[in-house]
Amino acid sequence: MKRLVARPLLAGLVVAALAVAAPLARADETCLSPYTAALVKGQEAYLHVWALGEKGLGDESDKLVTVDVDPKSKTYGKVVNTISVGGRGEAHHMGFTDDRKYLWAGRLDDSKIFVFDVGTDPSNPKLIQTIDDLPDQTGYVGPHTFYAIPGRMVIGALSNTTHDGVTGLAVYNNKGEFLSAHPIPSENGGDGYGYDIAINPKKNVILTSSFTGWNNYMRDLGQLVNDAEAMQNFGNTMVLWNLKSMQPEKIFAVPGAPLEIRWSLKEGDDWAITATALTSKLWLISRDEKNEWRAKEVGTIGDPSKIPLPVDISISADAKNLWVNTFMDGKTHLFDISDPEHPVQIYEKTTGKQVNMISQSWDGKRVYITSSLLANWDKKGADNEQVLRAYDWDGKDLHLKFEIDFFKEKLGRPHHMKFSGAVGKASP
Amino acid sequence: MSRSRALAWPLLAAALLCLPTLSRPHAEGGALLAYPAPGSYRLDHIQRAPQGIVLEDNYFPRLLSRYTTGSITLLSFFYSSCADPQGCSLAWEAFEKLRAALKERPDLQGQVRLVFLTLDPARDTPDTLGAFARAYEADAAVAPWHFLTTYSDFFLAPLLRGFGEEIAVDRSASGEGGPVFNHLLKVFLIDREGFEREIYSNQSLDVAAMLNDIETLLIEAGRRQIDRPVVSDCLLARKAPQARLRDEGKRRLRE
Repeated sequence: MKRLVARPLLAGLVVAALAVAAPLARADETCLSPYTAALVKGQEAYLHVWALGEKGLGDESDKLVTVDVDPKSKTYGKVVNTISVGGRGEAHHMGFTDDRKYLWAGRLDDSKIFVFDVGTDPSNPKLIQTIDDLPDQTGYVGPHTFYAIPGRMVIGALSNTTHDGVTGLAVYNNKGEFLSAHPIPSENGGDGYGYDIAINPKKNVILTSSFTGWNNYMRDLGQLVNDAEAMQNFGNTMVLWNLKSMQPEKIFAVPGAPLEIRWSLKEGDDWAITATALTSKLWLISRDEKNEWRAKEVGTIGDPSKIPLPVDISISADAKNLWVNTFMDGKTHLFDISDPEHPVQIYEKTTGKQVNMISQSWDGKRVYITSSLLANWDKKGADNEQVLRAYDWDGKDLHLKFEIDFFKEKLGRPHHMKFSGAVGKASP
Repeated sequence: MSRSRALAWPLLAAALLCLPTLSRPHAEGGALLAYPAPGSYRLDHIQRAPQGIVLEDNYFPRLLSRYTTGSITLLSFFYSSCADPQGCSLAWEAFEKLRAALKERPDLQGQVRLVFLTLDPARDTPDTLGAFARAYEADAAVAPWHFLTTYSDFFLAPLLRGFGEEIAVDRSASGEGGPVFNHLLKVFLIDREGFEREIYSNQSLDVAAMLNDIETLLIEAGRRQIDRPVVSDCLLARKAPQARLRDEGKRRLRE
């Protein structure tokens, strides 16, 4: 009896000690929602790739492709599973639920969301649900970012049913039931566009970025860049939201379509970084000397006059380095961001004829790259290579370990990637 | 020696040194953006808390809804031998802090119930958990704290599924002290009608936020008035006109 009654006090003291002795691990790998469980901090076992179907290629359908990426496996570097979901709807991004059991994958054209069970057997995902009510529930289309919060998924949409791009955030529960919609401000400094979501729960903050509407992202890129009026219809803002109220609090001018947002994962840091696609700049979101949140241009990626189009970034777990892929010139850049106010490029390599997404392992030793941006924005002819490439990073150079030609394998265009550990091997 | 005991004693001195710091409300030093005033924001109806059979004090079956309706409820899964500093121990600490905070808020006393539901029905029997309940019954008028179990894993499983709580037995860590359950810490805020309205994790388990959310639910239910003007922290109204920012963006794009 005495032992039992003492246990709560003891447990509290243990918690108190550990809370100070061991900083809370910021859950990220390195771009997941901080609420995501079971980080893969060792060797990832599988890479899930959300691929766009290609007319005349294989079954022509969008599909989830699972690749064995464990070097010790007999099927290392091989496709071990594909799930076709039917049709082509501009497959784009994915996100895990908070328990990491399910992977939500969206399509930007028909706004369908596919939910895969990747937790039961990550080598053999199962399609368990299709959600198709986003436009009806919210007026938004183009579900882009899937960002887990406890028991729910926050979805960042790209556009609306009139296709001009004024959009918002939608919240669903983990059963796939719609809960609420939160418009991105389109007045008083806001432009209404949406793209990425990044939450810092300890600061009660959400950041969102802005891209463009359906009319632009579904249009042929060559035609689009020659349409001066259409080129004006891109996001030039980021929004800082109050996480608890889901209300916008501050709007930052960040010209040139700020896309992916990454919070520093280093304990004690409270800054985030993004890259602007059209202006090719790095922007820092941090606090100024008056403790006010602000957005500040801190660096340049490549030669902005050539519009290299930085499309994806990946921050290291220690927040010292940032990978940046520039689509048009097919280059992968590494920036030293240990001083986030002054990023310095320390490495650059051409990794493809066109490169889009980039994902690094938690330890930073492995880097994965895919090629497809959007079906109508990808290059044409011989430059339209569609590959997944896996590299080792030794601190000085990227070394190609394997590549999969998605066209040759009749898989389509590879876009977003997510890791899974082997069952039972992920860090709790 | 149990896992919790093995961890506890070497850290006891450090814990005592740290207590003054930890006793500060999290929001003061943590959240840079102020939480919105109670009643000024809406909490989603995430889902209805599941139905099921649970046990308290004895082996007489009770509906879980007895503990999830009729009062605002904070419910978390736990097990008595848990020593995970990022798991149920955090929930335990948060519930104790919340209870202490409620003692300073007479207007909220008797409005909230606390519920712990064990993941380990084999070891956490009604008799075992009864000792915990008795240890906390002194402040039941502030916020009763119920320690619930189930007949077996068979009865527990549908509750876990219903709440969306995934668990796995960590066989490598389990030993004499009992099984170790890997699980994601979730504390469910449930309204009087039995709907989950917020879910706190180890990233967001903040007593200040919990108090605001409780007060928000009371205001929503008409059981409490907004007793101070709601001052929105939203800065949108003070921002420059939309056109100015758009023009600035377009000008820089042209450059």
